[in-house]
Amino acid sequence: MIIPIGVAPSSSESNRAFPPQLVQFGSDEYVLIELQGSLEVEGNKDGQVVGRLRVDEASKKPTLLIGHHLLEGKLVNLPKPLAIMHRSMPRDHDSDQRDILMDGGLENRRSTQAQSRWDIVAVVKRKMVFPRRPMPMVGRVASLPQTEKR
Amino acid sequence: MADLSLKFSSSTALDTGSFRLLELPSDLSKAVESALLSIKGDPDEDAVLCTGDKTYTLRSIVLSNSVLVVTPSQEDDGNSSDVVIRDQIHEVLELVSSVPRLHKLDSLLRGREYEEGRDEEEDIEMADMGENRSSQHVRLSYVDARNVLQTSDSELDRYLRDRRVLDLDGELRPIVPSYLTTILELILTNLVSLSLSHDAVPADTLESALEGGHDVRRDVARQVMGWFGILANGMWKMDAQAIVREVGLGILRPHRDDPIAQDAFLARWRTAVGDTFAAHVSLALLAGNYLSSTDSTRDPPLTTLTYLPCSQLPTDPAARFGDLFRARARWRAEEIAPFLADVAVDAKERDRLLLKYTRAVPGEGGVWYSARGR
Repeated sequence: MIIPIGVAPSSSESNRAFPPQLVQFGSDEYVLIELQGSLEVEGNKDGQVVGRLRVDEASKKPTLLIGHHLLEGKLVNLPKPLAIMHRSMPRDHDSDQRDILMDGGLENRRSTQAQSRWDIVAVVKRKMVFPRRPMPMVGRVASLPQTEKR
Repeated sequence: MADLSLKFSSSTALDTGSFRLLELPSDLSKAVESALLSIKGDPDEDAVLCTGDKTYTLRSIVLSNSVLVVTPSQEDDGNSSDVVIRDQIHEVLELVSSVPRLHKLDSLLRGREYEEGRDEEEDIEMADMGENRSSQHVRLSYVDARNVLQTSDSELDRYLRDRRVLDLDGELRPIVPSYLTTILELILTNLVSLSLSHDAVPADTLESALEGGHDVRRDVARQVMGWFGILANGMWKMDAQAIVREVGLGILRPHRDDPIAQDAFLARWRTAVGDTFAAHVSLALLAGNYLSSTDSTRDPPLTTLTYLPCSQLPTDPAARFGDLFRARARWRAEEIAPFLADVAVDAKERDRLLLKYTRAVPGEGGVWYSARGR
């Protein structure tokens, strides 16, 4: 079994780029943010706001405010570059199925094999790391949804 | 800079699990922009990543931290202060350069050796036997081999060439060594009889001669020529040394258990390659394929050779030394070196292996190596 890996440095699905302050932490369209622990969300998280990300112009220090918790981050150069791979969505799913119907069962196996295809969408040499535990912010009320960090 | 709003993607179910991080070794990070990469392996095998010419083992490194893959917002409303978490990742895939996994090919090709004449009868026979029989002899095409084997394309090509595997009518078939020797001897004699220079042979002329006079299939002849020289623009530049070596191996091969006298062997070898190429004949060409022993009780002392191919010895160093010392109790450094060439990358590594697995005894004419006692 072969899973082909394409190289698509600039993804076609979006032509939007980050603001320059963020580009320096990764590439035009991808930034890796490393956190201790993980983000745990209950319920549907589609489109929900996690927090406010700010990069200080002078010190270039990133900060992330999640609820009442402030995280201080830094830029870390990766010892080895990381390729970000993205699975291509089987967008032409309908036409695939039509093919199966037309060609009979023969193509069946082939089309299920072809479903997973990965593309290298970016190669990054840096990441944004928030290495410490969050600091509680007192006296600043942020009206953010129920996103908590563990 | 204004605050950016960090959001989850609007289609988390679709995005989750759709990203992977692949750590690139320095030699690959440049290749990644141009090379065609693919991941190969059956569900029960460890996956490997193949570039055009190299194979890497994939290993998953679990992270205690989590890495967010963040992209610009893809909503069309143009709210540029949004950035979107597409996926949360807890592992990084690490690549480790590895040897291609080709051992499966040997068992897949078993029973499909190609030899002149035997071919057609067997096919008819197989057809008679019905499906039961043919399922054991599944035809393996080059494309099949690419799909099944965990190896890069150029490593596969090199292996097929080294193993002398023909691609005939869309099927991979190893050539029977004795038939290969026959074809090579025919090539050498035909070059002489057609008075062609071996530096520039019109491929077509040679193919016609082999086909007309000796029933060698043209596609077989062409592929054999490819193995032993360079084919370009219909002209063939023969690698005389390689052909002479292969012919020598062909003569030596039957003498696995019954030794042949060195002089007799060299004489037969020279005859087989003909006067023109006799000068290329040298035992050094066969290093790592023979074992010579001298019977000093005879007068004059008689040196005999037996066939011992390095390629069929175990690849594990301990097992390799075991086999070598079973074949012979004591070895000189220069005798054992060719048999270690493919397990040790350099002389330093070889010395390390010798130190570990053998006992060195200074004796007449240098150091002798023998097995370590248990």
